[in-house]
Amino acid sequence: MNVANSEIRERINVREVYRYLGYGTGTPDERVKTLTECIIENLANVVKPRNIYKIYDCSTTESSVILTSGKTLSFESRNLAANVAQCTRVVLLAATLGIEADKLLQKYEVLNIAKAAIIQACGAACIEAYCNILQERICNACSVDGKRLYLRPRFSPGYGDLPLQAQKIIFEELECTKRIGLTLTDSLLMYPTKSVTAFIGLTANPQGCHINKCEICENTECEFRNSSF
Amino acid sequence: MNFKDLLGKQILFFDGGMGTLLQERGLQTGEIPETWNILHPEVIKQIHKDYLLAGSNMVSANTFGVNAFKCKTLDYTVEELVTAGIRLTKEAIAEVKKENTAETDHPMYAVLDIGSIGKLLKPLGEISFDQAYDTFREIIIAGDKAGADLILIETVSDSYEIKAAVLAAKENSCLPVVVTMIFDENGKLLTGGDVASVTAMLEGLGVDAIGFNCGLGPEQMKKLLPQLTECCSLPIVINPNAGLPVVVNGQTVFDVEPDAFAESVKMLVEMGASVVGGCCGTTPAHIRKVVELCGKMDIAPVMDKELTVVSSYNHAVYFSRKPLIIGERINPTGKSKFKQALRDHDMEYIYKEGLTQEENGAHILDVNVGLPEIDEPQLMEEAVTGIQAIIDLPLQIDTSDTDAMERGLRYYNGKPMLNSVNGKKESMESVFPIAKKYGAVLVCLCLDESGIPETVEGRLNIAEKMIKTAAEYGIPKKNLVMDALVLTVSTGQDNANITLKTLHRIRYELGLHTVLGVSNISFGLPERSRINTAFFTMAMNNGLSAGIVNPSSEPMMAAYYSFNALIGEDDQCMEYIAKASQTADKPAAAAVFQSGALTLDEAIIKGLSESAYEATVKLLEQNTDSLTIINEKLIPALDVVGKGFEEKKMFLPQLLMSADAAKASFEAIKANLSKQGKNSESKGKIVIATVKGDIHDIGKNIVKTLLENYGFEMIDLGKDVDPEVILKTVQEQNVRLVGLSALMTTTVVNMEATIKLLRENGLHCKVMVGGAVLTQEYADMIGADFYSKDAMGSVRYANELHDKGEL
Repeated sequence: MNVANSEIRERINVREVYRYLGYGTGTPDERVKTLTECIIENLANVVKPRNIYKIYDCSTTESSVILTSGKTLSFESRNLAANVAQCTRVVLLAATLGIEADKLLQKYEVLNIAKAAIIQACGAACIEAYCNILQERICNACSVDGKRLYLRPRFSPGYGDLPLQAQKIIFEELECTKRIGLTLTDSLLMYPTKSVTAFIGLTANPQGCHINKCEICENTECEFRNSSF
Repeated sequence: MNFKDLLGKQILFFDGGMGTLLQERGLQTGEIPETWNILHPEVIKQIHKDYLLAGSNMVSANTFGVNAFKCKTLDYTVEELVTAGIRLTKEAIAEVKKENTAETDHPMYAVLDIGSIGKLLKPLGEISFDQAYDTFREIIIAGDKAGADLILIETVSDSYEIKAAVLAAKENSCLPVVVTMIFDENGKLLTGGDVASVTAMLEGLGVDAIGFNCGLGPEQMKKLLPQLTECCSLPIVINPNAGLPVVVNGQTVFDVEPDAFAESVKMLVEMGASVVGGCCGTTPAHIRKVVELCGKMDIAPVMDKELTVVSSYNHAVYFSRKPLIIGERINPTGKSKFKQALRDHDMEYIYKEGLTQEENGAHILDVNVGLPEIDEPQLMEEAVTGIQAIIDLPLQIDTSDTDAMERGLRYYNGKPMLNSVNGKKESMESVFPIAKKYGAVLVCLCLDESGIPETVEGRLNIAEKMIKTAAEYGIPKKNLVMDALVLTVSTGQDNANITLKTLHRIRYELGLHTVLGVSNISFGLPERSRINTAFFTMAMNNGLSAGIVNPSSEPMMAAYYSFNALIGEDDQCMEYIAKASQTADKPAAAAVFQSGALTLDEAIIKGLSESAYEATVKLLEQNTDSLTIINEKLIPALDVVGKGFEEKKMFLPQLLMSADAAKASFEAIKANLSKQGKNSESKGKIVIATVKGDIHDIGKNIVKTLLENYGFEMIDLGKDVDPEVILKTVQEQNVRLVGLSALMTTTVVNMEATIKLLRENGLHCKVMVGGAVLTQEYADMIGADFYSKDAMGSVRYANELHDKGEL
């Protein structure tokens, strides 16, 4: 699925960037604002977003999730099971901004550390924006015959009790490395770093579908925690 | 007949996909296809035979995904899987030959099929160039031993990994090497390279054929192929997928049928491909149709494009009528600050020199890091890998040390330029083999045992001698660039004339591209830039292809852009106009800056680097003592910002801007101290590292910058650092404080392992830790002395230790 860089640019939530930079709900001074705008512009120009996804039928127990589409994948996780409990279908998505965002970051870590920090935050907001666009499009494509489907929040390996080891299954299943150039290190980190793999539940039930992912996180001391949880 | 004898002479056919066929035959998700070489050899062999019977000349062994990383989780070694894979192709060939006596003249070859390791290379990624090389080496040695006829490196999309694979193939076997890469529809590799840049690199490395596979279908490759035929002087291989992947019922499939596939492939052959086959989704039926349709086709003859080209990881730079700028500033000759930076191992200084030149319009950067007292080969490797990580320009490795040459060229990601060889026998004997091996464009100096000839004829004779000798080493003229040599006009009034005439004749009679170190012309004269610019223009007009100059010199660059406009190489003078308007803006900006001069503490608090630098220089001019500046201005200003940050009145970007401003101030102080022959004082050494397995560097770099500002000497070991390396550094340098960063729960274990190792070795250094998933509790649990929840925390802790005299 192709998404134009300009479209991603439109969707980058600058308030999220400020939150990542530690401003909470506050607003930076003009200089940081201008710099942030410039960096978003620059980043949105250079990134080469790529994605791959597959759609599965989904069934859950209290502590596991079974995805089927010809073959069967199963994941042990109470939090994931709760997240997709009411979902008939689940999308496995891998998306990356490509190596360009990392290159830019690496350059500014040498040149100007303040800019590097802002690039880091903008990169995070940029991959979020990209995933938001992708999941909406996938959801719309799945909503057929007048039956509208709704999105559950994205759920990634490492959230709650879903171990990072799940990355291995996702990488093999989606052929992430070959198809979109996303690689997995021995310690289960992704390269390029501005990348996301996620389960996205699709449900006919419109209730409770805009839940923040802070909901399931145990780190209540986190500086970036959305305060409503 | 050998594969090489037929390659480029007649059309040849690869086979098609393997993976989908195996799935149809029962390969399960999670199962490694290559294990079937041992578990189900008959299935694999039959697939090979099906392809051979369909008309394939080359059958790729089922070895695509074999490598040491993958074999770690298997019961088989790389050698076992590769040997079994090659054996099956050879058996298939033998059986087909035996069973089909009528077609015994159909050439058939067993291919060692090598895919990507699936890991990104450093500095961005996880594994080193040498690790990648060793991984490929193991596969290649096994495949060669098992009797492969050629090596296919395929579905690769990182030029650096490709280089490691090709070097491994060339250095460990004599087999022909074919490389096919996976490009996106815009003609880009995943790591940013384009068709021209990797083609330049691969031709330089001496591979036998180049092409595309996977990623795209034949229709998309049709759009991309002209980019390759335009620059490639080798036979072209095209192995497309059966179309673009489409998702049907949640599964990826390729849906171009054999007939349509073959029609498209036929067009690819007409456009210049001479070896064709298929990739994902293609079957023996696809190949059979392709062979039926294309088997009798004549192929386009392989033509040498006679291009003189160098490349970086992401683009190629061609020598042409429009001259190039080679930036000369990364060179210690005559620069005391640069020399000091080399002695201090201040790589940042070198990188900034590079970035400035890139911004000012250089096309290629010369890299010279030679000083008698340093380990030049080691530093050359570091400089080359460091620069290419953040700068997009091709590099010119500049050294007379052949070890440094080899190191620089080996770790270079692209087709490099090499400076230089000369007409002395010894020089040619030592440099030509290295230049040949790595495919460098080589700068040839027109001098020899008898010195620099004073006549045009004399220099031309040496040039001709070098061309002839280079050819004996297999180096074509297109990879030689002649330096006609410049002697200052102040010591011989005919010097410029001799150079210019030599230049003209080399360019237009010998037909080689040329290079000059332009500013040598004015040694010993006042107002050198006047002579330099005039000479530069004259040289360009006499056939200079590339000037080694300072791109930050406005008069030189003005001459350059003017020249291009005047010879009609600047479309509608756009470049000239753009550059001219940039220059015009500059004085105005400087004036604004002057009017709002700030004090040092104001500049630091506001985070304005230039103002901080200026203010520091002013204080130093007023004879303010360095220590006074640091202790009474700089540190208090940083404290204001740090306090603001901790009280959440100021935020990370501001903190870091102030840090950068303080850094600029320190530069001024350091420069002043070194003028007086002194060094700045350190508050103590701190080792800092992102732990093994972790690749997220920015948090660590932020902490490092802040600690540096407070006067600590930082030993930055980088990211993904082995506990042993940290231990060794702490021991050798007697370090009392270690800072460790880790982002993920999976890497915090390595943080724990590092702390444990330090303790086991009885080291009493303090360890402070930080990173996204850490908490005070976690830090206590792994035995850290201090948990820093943000960058300022580490500053406070380090200062405390310093005040207690523990650092």
